[in-house]
Amino acid sequence: MRPEQQGIEVAVLVSVGRHPITGRARRADQDARGLELALGLERQLPGSRVGLLHAGPRSEENESALRGYLGMGLDTLTLLEQAEGSDAIPALAEHLAAAPPQLVITGARAERGEGSGLLPYALAERLGWPLVNGLAAVEKVENGVATLLQALPRGQRRRLKVRLPAIVSVDAAAPAARQSAFGPARRAELAATPVPAEPDRELAEWQLAPARKRPKRLKIVKAASARDRFKAAAAKAEGGSGQVLEGVSAEQGAEAILKLLNEEGVLR
Amino acid sequence: MSEIRRRDPRREWIARNRLHPEHASVVAEQGGAASEWLGPNGVIRKNPRAIGFIGPNGIKRIDRSGAQQGGQAASAARQAAQDSRRNVTIEAPAFLVAVVPELSGGRLSAHDKDLLGLARRLADADPERPGAVLAVVFGEHKEDAFGEAGIDRLLHLDDDAYAGFAPEARLAALSAVERELAPRHWLLPDSPLGGADLGRRLALRLSERPATGVWQIEADAETPLGWRCTARGAAESLDIQRPLPRVALALAECAEPVDETRHAAEPLYLTESIPSAFSRIEDLGQVAVDPAGVALAEAEFILSGGNGVKDWDGFHHAAKVLGATEGASRVAVDDGFMARHRQVGATGTWVTARVYLAVGISGAIQHLQGIQTCDKVVAINLDPGCDMIKRADLAVIGDSAEILAALVAMVEQQRGGQRDAA
Amino acid sequence: MLETLLPILIFAALGLAVIGAWRRVRLWRQGRPSAVPLLKGLAALPRRYLVDLHHVVERDKVMSNTHVATAGGFVAAAVLMILVHGFGLAQGVLGWLLLAASATMFVGSLFVARRRRNPPARLSKGPWMRLPKSLMAFSLSVFAITLPAVGILPADFGHWLLALALAAVVVWGLGEMVFGMTWGGPMKHAFAGALHLAFHRRAERFGEGNRSTGLKALNLDDEAAPLGVEKPADFTWNQLLGFDACVQCGRCEAMCPAFAAGQPLNPKKLIQDMVVGLAGGSDANYAGSPYPGKPVGEHHGTPHGPIVAREGKALVDAETLWSCTTCRACVEECPMMIEHVDAIVDMRRHLTLERGQTPNKGAEVLDNLIATDNPGGFDPGSRLHWAADLNLPLMADVKQAEVLLWLGDGAFDMRNQRTLRALVKVLRAAEVEFAVLGTEERDSGDVARRLGDEATFQSLAKRNITTLAKYRFQRIVTCDPHSFHVLGNEYGELGGQYEVRHHSTFIAELYDAGRLAFAPWKGGSVTYHDPCYLGRYNGEYEAPRNVLKALGIEVKEMERSGFRSRCCGGGGGAPITDIPGERRIPDMRMNDVKESGAELVAVGCPQCTAMLEGVVDATAEVRDIAELVADALVARPAVEAVDASRRNAGKTAEEVI
Repeated sequence: MRPEQQGIEVAVLVSVGRHPITGRARRADQDARGLELALGLERQLPGSRVGLLHAGPRSEENESALRGYLGMGLDTLTLLEQAEGSDAIPALAEHLAAAPPQLVITGARAERGEGSGLLPYALAERLGWPLVNGLAAVEKVENGVATLLQALPRGQRRRLKVRLPAIVSVDAAAPAARQSAFGPARRAELAATPVPAEPDRELAEWQLAPARKRPKRLKIVKAASARDRFKAAAAKAEGGSGQVLEGVSAEQGAEAILKLLNEEGVLR
Repeated sequence: MSEIRRRDPRREWIARNRLHPEHASVVAEQGGAASEWLGPNGVIRKNPRAIGFIGPNGIKRIDRSGAQQGGQAASAARQAAQDSRRNVTIEAPAFLVAVVPELSGGRLSAHDKDLLGLARRLADADPERPGAVLAVVFGEHKEDAFGEAGIDRLLHLDDDAYAGFAPEARLAALSAVERELAPRHWLLPDSPLGGADLGRRLALRLSERPATGVWQIEADAETPLGWRCTARGAAESLDIQRPLPRVALALAECAEPVDETRHAAEPLYLTESIPSAFSRIEDLGQVAVDPAGVALAEAEFILSGGNGVKDWDGFHHAAKVLGATEGASRVAVDDGFMARHRQVGATGTWVTARVYLAVGISGAIQHLQGIQTCDKVVAINLDPGCDMIKRADLAVIGDSAEILAALVAMVEQQRGGQRDAA
Repeated sequence: MLETLLPILIFAALGLAVIGAWRRVRLWRQGRPSAVPLLKGLAALPRRYLVDLHHVVERDKVMSNTHVATAGGFVAAAVLMILVHGFGLAQGVLGWLLLAASATMFVGSLFVARRRRNPPARLSKGPWMRLPKSLMAFSLSVFAITLPAVGILPADFGHWLLALALAAVVVWGLGEMVFGMTWGGPMKHAFAGALHLAFHRRAERFGEGNRSTGLKALNLDDEAAPLGVEKPADFTWNQLLGFDACVQCGRCEAMCPAFAAGQPLNPKKLIQDMVVGLAGGSDANYAGSPYPGKPVGEHHGTPHGPIVAREGKALVDAETLWSCTTCRACVEECPMMIEHVDAIVDMRRHLTLERGQTPNKGAEVLDNLIATDNPGGFDPGSRLHWAADLNLPLMADVKQAEVLLWLGDGAFDMRNQRTLRALVKVLRAAEVEFAVLGTEERDSGDVARRLGDEATFQSLAKRNITTLAKYRFQRIVTCDPHSFHVLGNEYGELGGQYEVRHHSTFIAELYDAGRLAFAPWKGGSVTYHDPCYLGRYNGEYEAPRNVLKALGIEVKEMERSGFRSRCCGGGGGAPITDIPGERRIPDMRMNDVKESGAELVAVGCPQCTAMLEGVVDATAEVRDIAELVADALVARPAVEAVDASRRNAGKTAEEVI
């Protein structure tokens, strides 16, 4: 094996997720995808080491969610123990700076708390490392330079080269996480270290409420006359759900479909 | 239509004479031209009484939207609609609201326009001291309606360094804008590869804690910038109310786009040169991805075939022309027409497409379960009684091969037309 | 010469057999310990063999008689031979008895030979093809050597060459029948089978009318206990013994729906692979039908090596294990009482709990069960949305009821909601005092358990048991046989004992009690599909048929019905793991329906409904028994005359639909 093919050190930052329907704690989807990516990298570059890192309070609920990551096949998770409502960024930055890995992988956004997706950027800014978002795959790592595929909308991909050490964030385009197995999750170790924590005062001042349903924007009809507006409104009513065109020619049918495709803007 | 106007003095006379028995029909025929015509000396003449039309109840109606009732008035109407925009020029803005649109495909996207609408709200809040909306645009673009979207100042940074994925160069440019122009607000779209990335980088560079996922703002004099915002947090499950910070990343539909005013979109240039950033990220360009290879779960437009598809070549061709990702029902997969990973349904892939076009799929329960999160379902089927028709938002009963062929022809024609127009 | 040779041969064979037996026992003892009452088991052996096992064998009359003659003849002949030729007790009746025994055995072996002339595909070939010859060699040679002993022939009859030839045949016979019994070979089934019956892991399934179908729980509190079976030695010793007892008759193979659909599963081959694993080696010597699409000879294993390789091939491929629908047709059919389903679930447990390799939708379904308590990932708060207009009494409000109506996860399924509405209508018509748990109900854990996720099953089960403990009710009624089975047969081990009824049973009881009256049936011909979890798992074949009879329907039985009913393909998480085959199981089942000529197939299970209705171009309509009953409901004549308020109750029930 060539020397540049040597394994790298990868740290995966994971958070406690929240199921969108029931709100139960779980492994966060994007973080789990990040870990999946790291495990794939470990396979691709033998000798790589994957470390799991989480900063937050230790509770039964959190622990079971964190063990969800361990069930993907890791032995330990480093837990930087902090009080609820603390700012995780300084603790994580300090921990990463003390023993810098070559690659830090994190999900784009957390499923709890502010969930602003700032964490990777804040770490990159503090550590002075380059950051790539929307990662889909790591193609290769050679001579301290990683070749990555970044996900663009509609399944498109962009190839990037980034100098390590770097932070990458993954979203839903990264490979889906493998199943978490009960046995390894139960056996694995949570290595907890208490760290000093600053409370996130700003967050505490904000008002948090369960998300309201956003009002659906009415279709604004750019019609010049009342008649056109009326026509547009009437056409919408008749074109609403469950319209069935029977006994029309193929062209008429195709026209109706084309109209819908144009309205939805999926034709490019 | 010929550009030469032919005059008919008699009809003009009838059109002027409201008491003439043929007046209504002539006015209807001539449309908007009845109230405005070219006089014999080449001067535009107006007849204020001819404005309007007789409504169904025999009462005269006047439509002030600028268009008259009438068949031939379409092009005139469009002209009038555009003309109705008020021109606004802000000479000496009290402050700047900087917007970095995502410009997907080189044009302002709907998201950008909403964001500019939001920027206008911030800029125009105090009519005494109006602010100006500054748009920072990177790279080449095809947009020619910046003014209509509500932009007062346009800073166009056209340099190869900003092409592709160049967050470091763009960030350096935005930092230069901050140094020189110090906008009061920075607004970016919170879209995956538009402003979501750049906005967060900018905020941290400016040491600001940005509001992300903003979807609503309201005036609040007690906050530092005079505004409060509501932002989505925690994977769309929380609404966070907080004072609007300097940097905000807003969601689509955060405000109504500008449609009543036209702004100057006056070009602006930075006086100092932007320091070139040392880049540790190199963009090697887009990778060719086969549309058919896009994962079903990721696809936003799926053309799915089932038992009723007989002409599979036509089906694949249609998918290619429409740019749709191919899906299949269980039966089509079992019969070997499609690969198993293309199967949609509870036992295949659960899809989240915006448009799901089901061809010849009767709609087994498992299949319908797999498409339950699709926005719009279009069905083409021979059997009007099948379950897929009941689920579909639009259903066409007929031969799928013919309809697909017609659709393909229309799409090709539409594309051709667009290209001619451009 | 023979007089001196015979005792040596017999005792040598017996001695070798004892050594072989010891070796075989050592192989089985590689398995994990299992507390089985040894002496009690041995004492129960004759009854288990003669009654329970014979009950299964008897389904094939010719083979049954053949086996009685051959096996009975052999056992008698072997014992008598030891006495007559081993100890020289030829005088008197013993010799004649030996002659009779060996003659009976010979007649039996003729039938065995006839069967082996054109054997059906399900029978294994290879060494089994020589078995009739070996049986004849033994019976004939014993017969021949006994002739001089009883004095029919002179002691020095024939040439020494003839004696030598006879001795050679005796050696062959003894070799196959005594030596081969413990060292491997077709006769191994007699030795292992007898002990398997004695030390069976489900002693409770023996005896008239008894059945034991619930899976056994894993001990999750003990962190050292293995989670499922990774390697052959992880099975309990009596499971290994059970595999070794397989006689390779292939009755399981003939009944297996996955095998028939061309999915890579053959229960017989699976059991043989376990035998290969327990002894170590490759499956190259296997002489029966392979797993469809998988050539024989590529797999190999050892007692302490993995059964399913993490990469490449080991003893069995994972998709073989995931093809099983847990329909228990193999177990029902097995004359050796081998527990295939237990073994498959044990191996699945390892794949899911230790490796996290539940295929296809499996992982997603399990995640949903963990996060939302239902496999579809629906909002648990919407469990009762379908019944918004029905005003169902909630247990949380009424605290006690005669009947707890368990809705199952069909409550989220639009098709099954029709069944549930029909069932509610029937219960109201019969004025049953019932209540539902509503949003307090969770998935019973059936799918999780069959997919091997014992942890999720136990979590769901324990929470359900806690919920149920809050309320008082006499019985649970459900239209989901899977919930029925799990609540009735599998919650007991975790501390939940309930009286559970399938809705067909309950409706039959209501009808018998005169609480329901039906309009005569006007539809076309009807057949009935037995759900596996109602029929084979719980022995309920009659009640649904009685209900159909009460409706005035004469059931046109399919060829495979009752305990031989073919699975719909919906059990055991098979639609979730979705292992491809050449055909689909529900298609085959709807074809069975078509062959019966019925226009409508009555079912009693949401899974069956979904699977059978998913068949494209089906010739028959699929309806749940509850729907048929609800459609036929008429007000009871007696009630109409006397009790007006009751009639009103009946009327509201009708308006409900």
